[in-house]
This record gives sequence, structure tokens and C-alpha cells, in this order.
Amino acid sequence: MLMKFLFAKNEEIPAGSATIFFGFSSIFWFVVGTGLGSFNAAKLAFPDWVTGTELFAFGHMRQVHVLAVILGWISMAFGMTMMYMTPALGNTKLWSEKLGLWNVFIWNVGLSLGLILLWMGITSGREYSDLIWPIDLVVIFGVLLPLGINVWMTIAHRKTQGIYITNWFFGACIFMLMIVFLVGNSPELFNLTGLTEAYMTFWFAHNVLGLWITPVAAGIAYYTIPKLTGNPLYSHRIGHLHFWSIVAFYSTPASHHLMSAPLPEWLKSFASVEGVLILIPAVAFVANILLTLKGKWSMFVENLETKFSITGVLLAIPLNMQGGFQQTRAINWYVHGTGWIVAHAHLALLGMSSFLEAAAVYFGLQQMLRRKLYSLTLGNLHYWFFIIGFCVYWISMTIAGLMQGAGKIYEVPYIDVVVAEHPYMIARWAGGTMVFTGNVIWLYNMWMTAREGTLVPKGRYAHELAYER
Amino acid sequence: MGWKFDQPLYCLSDEQEQKEMLELMEKTKFGGLSEGNNKLPMPLVALCGLIILTAFMITQPIWGQRPNAEIYTDFVALMDSPEVQRLATGEEKMKFITQQAMAKATGRTPGDIERHPMSWNDLLNVSASIKEVQAGGGQYDLASYNVIGNRIQLANFEGYVQANGLRERKQPWFDKGYAIDIFYVSYFCLTMVLVIKQLPHFTRKPDMSKAS
Repeated sequence: MLMKFLFAKNEEIPAGSATIFFGFSSIFWFVVGTGLGSFNAAKLAFPDWVTGTELFAFGHMRQVHVLAVILGWISMAFGMTMMYMTPALGNTKLWSEKLGLWNVFIWNVGLSLGLILLWMGITSGREYSDLIWPIDLVVIFGVLLPLGINVWMTIAHRKTQGIYITNWFFGACIFMLMIVFLVGNSPELFNLTGLTEAYMTFWFAHNVLGLWITPVAAGIAYYTIPKLTGNPLYSHRIGHLHFWSIVAFYSTPASHHLMSAPLPEWLKSFASVEGVLILIPAVAFVANILLTLKGKWSMFVENLETKFSITGVLLAIPLNMQGGFQQTRAINWYVHGTGWIVAHAHLALLGMSSFLEAAAVYFGLQQMLRRKLYSLTLGNLHYWFFIIGFCVYWISMTIAGLMQGAGKIYEVPYIDVVVAEHPYMIARWAGGTMVFTGNVIWLYNMWMTAREGTLVPKGRYAHELAYER
Repeated sequence: MGWKFDQPLYCLSDEQEQKEMLELMEKTKFGGLSEGNNKLPMPLVALCGLIILTAFMITQPIWGQRPNAEIYTDFVALMDSPEVQRLATGEEKMKFITQQAMAKATGRTPGDIERHPMSWNDLLNVSASIKEVQAGGGQYDLASYNVIGNRIQLANFEGYVQANGLRERKQPWFDKGYAIDIFYVSYFCLTMVLVIKQLPHFTRKPDMSKAS
């Protein structure tokens, strides 16, 4: 069906097609990404699991997992939300469904190619920016630019006088991510080495998180919570504080990832202060959303999308408390290079961000398919597998990280630390596998929704109708 | 956009502009969504202030630095002495040297020596470089060097330019990174006040029932 639409006239493509293809692609990549995560975690928990084949070695598999989740699940879920929220918020239609469909097609092909190359060991060798430069160019000009053109043109053709805050985030973050990709990958393009390469690598890694993954997820919540609850967004003012503090304070502290590196000390001091100031957009975001929920807290229990959304918002609190303080010299000394950081990264990507996106994908797919979710039971099962699995992962890795930190500082023999943290590695695998299982259930549930979900009458929202299963 | 500065803490927009903004909020529905004109709650403002204060306080002083080469001056002076040469093992030599150096040191140096113990082999390796700098062989004094394992390295502090044209490499009491931050945060706060106070005053609530 995708192939048919790719060569059809724009007017002949049904509205919402790009959203649906983006939505299902994102869930597919979430299953792949968490499946790879479960596989990799098993290698750490059970060292004899799949050995003897170079392709399945941890060093080959780790970055495939990371980029399948970031560029497959999270970014495609963002693409999906942009395809339906941007026009909805401008009381208009998507500028080009056809461009959206080409976008999702090139994205899937490019990502598959990039991940296969990574799997084969063809990599830039730099964490997070592992993809080789030709694939980076595909991401910038084949993925982000078409996405940006569609979003920016839809905003330009809006029928409202103002621009809602969600679209500020969407429009700005695509632009900022393109800059991050161009500049962050410059070490490979211009053969920069040494400290410059290290700095640019973590400038990229920090800003992919800070100017893409967390702010776009927050922008999504500004849509889903008022939409689901029917309450107006609490404060336009707080929205200003959130948006501008993201731009000011999240874009600047990249060197706090390299506190032990021989970067100029003033740069690290500057970055460390900015790192704590990241708490300002965090408290603004959490306050605005929770105050918007006023009088509708029962929906946190009763409504599946609100449950996912508010869980994501609540996880932003520990995420930013950790993030703000773990980068200071006094704490970074202890936790740097340990499982604590792995736990924190998963709190951002698998916790806060993924819960917010899951809510938006649930909501958006039902709206665009005009079908009510196939099974609430499966939806709830997905939620509980997700949250319990995530918490088991996060807590076990946090504890393992503290043990590793103690081992590092007190110069405990490395093998003793490996033995001591073994139970936590098993817990990590169990938690990750629960998340993966939940996602398989989700994919089945959405597939069945598309096939057999109850039709939603025109003018109604899916969440206003009662569940039938 | 008009500016009005007679009541800057109330609102920076004139009456007509406030009215137009409120009408816009009332009539605009972004795909069914609307925005409230509520104020920044006082606890949120207080929390932001606390965060800014905490950001500066928790990151100072510059903590966790590598040891300064100057703290090992007495180590180098003692290493060739007959008392040290008489001792059989490296551990014994370093125990003696450390005790002597700490007893002689003043100020923060005893604590620095305690936090940064050195092995005999590292001392043998690093001593030549320390002696060379002491003899005036470089442009910087020993306090400008860090000891990294078994070698010394010019510290990565980039302080102010001195009279001799070189940048200061000693740990400052107030890093210029913090000075940059003070300006950066101040500009941010000023900009946010201008942006937020330009909106209609929060006591004026849009009537959402008018929205289409």
C-alpha cells in the first residue's frame, strides 16, 4: 500500500496515511530495539549466551540496539506525532502527505542500511554518532530535511493566528537536530582527532538528548494532556519559560560529559553550572502539565493514554534531578563510567521519553485509523510490563553502578566487582525482556486495532468511546 | 509591539495590546486546544531561584583536581637523602618521605599530600621534570603543573593573561567559567522577564467559552 501511495497524487492520498505508516514503523522499531536490548543484556547476564560468532558479539550488537531505539522508535514516533499534531494544532491539513510517505520510506530504508552496516562493524567508532558519514548525510538530507519541510510548511499554512507551544518545539527541534548532526559528525567529515573529537562526540550525544529526545517528548505532552483531559493548557507563560530555558540551558553543557578530560577547566565549570540549570525547564514542564491535569487526576487511572503520558511526566522528575547533579565534579568523579550512567540514559530514553511517545502513538493511531483500541486489557498489560520492566532495569543498574563506583574508587579488583554485580545483570535482563514482551503485545494490539477495532464515529474521539474488550 | 514601562512589574504592554492578546486567546482553538493566562506560581519562581543559587554553590570550589606538582617539592628534596637511601623498599621510602613532608607542610598542602599519595617508581620518574622546572627551565612555575601518574603536565586552567604575556595556569578561587555563567544567567532572566511581562497581566483571564 505504501508503494501505491508513493507514486499517487498528493490529493489522492488519504489524510493520516503518513501518520499511520510512521506509527507502525515506530512500534516495529521499538520491538526490534528492545529485542536487541534484551539479547545484549542476556550476554552480560549469561556470558556463555551465543558465543563464537563475531556478528553476535556485544561490541557489534550494542550500537545497533542504541540507534534502533533512538532513530527507529523514538524519532519515528516523533515523526508520527508531527504528522498529525502539527496540522491539527494549526486547524489545517498536513502540507504534503506524499512527502510524509516518502519520508517514512527513506527513513526505514536508510535506517535499515545503517544498522546493517553497524552490525557488520562498519562504524565511525564514536558513541551515539556511530553511523558512518554517508548514512549521516542520509539522516540529515533524506530524513530530517523532508520532515522539517513538511512541519515548517504546515505551520506556515496554519489557519490560526498564533502557534501552539507543541509546534514551537517541533519546528525548532528539527532545525536544531540538523545543526547537531552536521556539527557533531564533523570529526569524521574533517578527520578531527584527539580532544576535539572527544568533545564533538559528546556535544553530539548531549544535544541529541537535550535538543531532540526530551524537548520533543515534552512538546508532545503539551498536546496529549490538554487533548485527553479537555482542560486548557495551564499557562502560556510557563510554556515560554520551558521553551527558552531548553534553548539556553540544554544546548550549552556538553562538556559536563567529559569532566575528567583535559578540556579547559573554565569550560567544564561553565558546563557544570548549566547542567544544574537544566532543572529549570524540567520544573517548568512538570508544573505546567500537572497543573493542566487539575481536576482530572482520575484519568491517570482510568485512561490508558493519560496513564502513559503522566508516567512519562513524573519520570522527568528523577531524570532531571539525576541529570542535574550527577554531572557536577563532586558526584561525576564517583559515577562516571559506571552502570549508573546506563541507568540514567535509560531513564531518559526508555522512561520519560518513551512513555510520552507511547501515549501519543496510542492516541494518534486510533484517531487516524478512526478505530478504537482493539483491547484495553492488552493495553494495560503493555503498560504494566513496560513500567515494571523499566523500574527493574533502572533500579538494578543504578545499584550496580554504585557498586562499580565504589569498586573504582577503592581499587577493588575488577573481577570482584563483576562477580558482585552479576545478580543485577540478571535483573537488568529480566526487566528489559519484560519491556520487550510488552512491546510485542502492543504491536499485536495495534495491528488488531487496524483490522478489527470498533469504528469511531465522525466528530468523536476514540478516548470518548467505551472499550469493547 | 508597543512597550509600556510605567508599571514594569505589572505589564509591559499597553491596554490595547493586552486586550488584543486576550481576544486572541479567547477565540483561538488550536485543534480544540486552548491556553490559559495563569501566572508563574510563586513556588515555581522560588524553585527557579533556588536552582540558580544551587547551580553555582554545588559546583564550587573546583573540585577533584589532579595534584599540583608543587606539593611534591619536599618529596624530591628528600628522595636522595641518606635517611631515605638507607631504607630497603619503595613502600618504606615513601612512608618516610610522606611523613616528613606532611609534618613540614602548612595550609592545604598536608591534605593535598594525603589525598594524592605517590609511589616510589612514580617519584623516580617525575623528579627530573620537577627539578627542571624548579631550576627555572620553563616559562611557568611548579604550581602551574599537574602531576599525572609519572609525569607532569601544564594544568588546563586558562586564567587571565599576565604581564609576561602568558595565561595564568594556577587554580583560581573563582573560575572564569562561573563569571561567564553569571552574565549568561542574568541575560536569560532579563529576557524571560521581558517576554513574560509583555503578556497580559495574569489577573486578566480569557473567557474560554468564546472559543470557536
